[in-house]
Amino acid sequence: MLKVLIIDDDDIVRLVQSKLLQNCNFTKEPLKFKRASDAVEYLNSASIEHHYLLMLDINMPMMNGWEFLDEVERMEVKENVYVLMVSSSVDYNDKEKADKYDKIINFIEKPITAKNCEQLKELSILKPFFPEPI
Amino acid sequence: MTDSEGALNILVVEDHIGDYILIEDYLSEEHLQINLTRATTFKEAKDNLSVNHNFKVVLLDLSLPDVESNEDLVTGMVALAPNTPIIVLTGFSNKQFGVKTLSLGISDYLLKDDLNSTQLAKSIFYSIERKNNDFKLGESERKYKALFDSSPLPMWVLDKHTLEFLNVNDAAIDLYEYSKEEFLGMNVRDLWTKDIRKEIEFTWKENYHENFGITVKHLKKNGELLHMEIKSNPIDFDGREARVTQAKDITAQLDAEQALKHSEKRFKALVQDASDLIMIMDFSGELSYVSPSSSQMTGISDAEMIKNNFFHYIHKNDVKSVKSHLLKLKDNKRIQIPSYRIKTSDKKWRYIETIITNLNDDSSVKGLVANSRDITEFITQEKKLIHSLKRYDIVAKATSDTITDYDVVNDKMYYNEGIESVFGYSKSEIENTGSWWNEKLHPEDRERVKRYSQQVQKLTSGYIHIEYRFRCADGSYRYILDRSYLVTDESGNKLRIIGAMQDITEIQNYIQTIEDHNSRLKDIAWTQSHVVRAPLARIMGLIDLIQSYPNIDEQAQLLEHINTSARELDDIIRNITRKTEDVTLNPKEC
Repeated sequence: MLKVLIIDDDDIVRLVQSKLLQNCNFTKEPLKFKRASDAVEYLNSASIEHHYLLMLDINMPMMNGWEFLDEVERMEVKENVYVLMVSSSVDYNDKEKADKYDKIINFIEKPITAKNCEQLKELSILKPFFPEPI
Repeated sequence: MTDSEGALNILVVEDHIGDYILIEDYLSEEHLQINLTRATTFKEAKDNLSVNHNFKVVLLDLSLPDVESNEDLVTGMVALAPNTPIIVLTGFSNKQFGVKTLSLGISDYLLKDDLNSTQLAKSIFYSIERKNNDFKLGESERKYKALFDSSPLPMWVLDKHTLEFLNVNDAAIDLYEYSKEEFLGMNVRDLWTKDIRKEIEFTWKENYHENFGITVKHLKKNGELLHMEIKSNPIDFDGREARVTQAKDITAQLDAEQALKHSEKRFKALVQDASDLIMIMDFSGELSYVSPSSSQMTGISDAEMIKNNFFHYIHKNDVKSVKSHLLKLKDNKRIQIPSYRIKTSDKKWRYIETIITNLNDDSSVKGLVANSRDITEFITQEKKLIHSLKRYDIVAKATSDTITDYDVVNDKMYYNEGIESVFGYSKSEIENTGSWWNEKLHPEDRERVKRYSQQVQKLTSGYIHIEYRFRCADGSYRYILDRSYLVTDESGNKLRIIGAMQDITEIQNYIQTIEDHNSRLKDIAWTQSHVVRAPLARIMGLIDLIQSYPNIDEQAQLLEHINTSARELDDIIRNITRKTEDVTLNPKEC
């Protein structure tokens, strides 16, 4: 199954994103991490039977988004990880950097809206996890 | 008749006593005081005449016992008494010889048969008188001859009608170098040069019987030309109608006159044809001479200019200065009056410069000689130059440029006051060499400046435009924009580099400050935009959530989050505004 991780140091952002994902039926229980290091710890012990969608903030204290991505490369579950880069302001340098990581499936400028969620479900790589209700 | 003369001494040479008594009788009838001395022979007569005698007359009988020939007797007697009249008494038979005796120097001859007292007395008286006159005449002729022969001036006697030479003196022989014999075979016309013949023939004929004087040209035997001043007057020369001529050689005199004329001409040419204006005046400025060059210089002819006083032509603002210079002539022989203005015919002004020499003591000048040169062109050029220099100085001051003038050949560097006012070097610190300047360059710039100027100097002339740092007297550096111009001669040799060092330190600092501002503001903008976006993105996310799901629970909590985020955003924006103001007000602290 697809597990969604919200990694952001901002409490309100985590709240807004988790409520959004629940209301648009993206996931019932999003996993919220205030510190990137906590998310690393979780993924290191995560099962490779699951897939993981990460909503990753770039600018964070201690370990920022890029450093976190470098950690992911060393994980067992790395093949099952998809990353959505989320930033409050998008800078040209960041976008160029993102091209080097094939894990990044999209780059979203805050805030993530309901409309964004619907579009995410349509992405080919995520579509299998959201079967059409018949 | 002879009484007044006192006793009359007579020598009677008569051998015949009868005849002697007869003579004595005749004489005593006419003369009261006579001393008769009788000689009966030639020898006796000779004895009487050999010593000093005072016989006034000799009566001579031709038949004497001791002389055979009458002619020998007469000749002998004349020789014995050359200055005493001798009267011959002869018999009728000797009448012919009696006549002949006259040509031998006898004063008179009387026939004894015709003799009477009256006739004898008359003969004696006339003979004495004639002898006296003859003597006087002889004296005057001797004197005349001496005058002629020893005259230092050349003289000659010409035939009055043919103008052949009859006599010449030694001075003439010396001068013309013809011998006396040659002269006597010549005509005076042989001396004349061709060109004067007509004139002299005319003068001679005009004064045929008169005195005349004339200047003529003669040729010497060797062909040399002589200028002669001659005086000629008619005379009787040994019974011949003649002219005596006295000549004076004036060749040297004429040559000297000619030389003087030449020198005068030369002087006139110098004065009249020179472009300098030459005037002669007195201390009050009254003109006595103006050279013709006045019309060339002022358009006023010399004849016109001399009518007025010198000061009449001088610009009223210059009169005082000229007068004060003129006064210096009292102590100096020569003075120079620097530029002043004189009026021209078309009411314009020319600048002139005058040298005045006091020649009051020179009798041929008697005045102040003023030699003036037109320097208008020079003054105009000078004024232009001063004007342009002044203008340049003003510009240089206004731009605070330091002007440099580098004499490449002599390695001499000249500065305007900028080197002091901009860089703070005192006059004593400045060395006028290229190396002194080089040494003031910032070490980091020195190589670059050297390379660049070498590159420019390879061109025949060049405009140098370079920035560098230059050390001030206090050790600090100023940023300089140097704009120099390389001056070369026709063959491309470097002569001078004239440059303007513009102090761009202020500008440089200003640019630096602005760049600092920009980079800081950019920093602020970039970082702050991220900070600003964070609360804004939150607000937008919250609103989107509420709008998308109107029935969402815990709405009050979401609205509270919007409120908190909005206030955070407000704080951030206020903070940015404050920081931006800080950058502008205190750039260094930012």
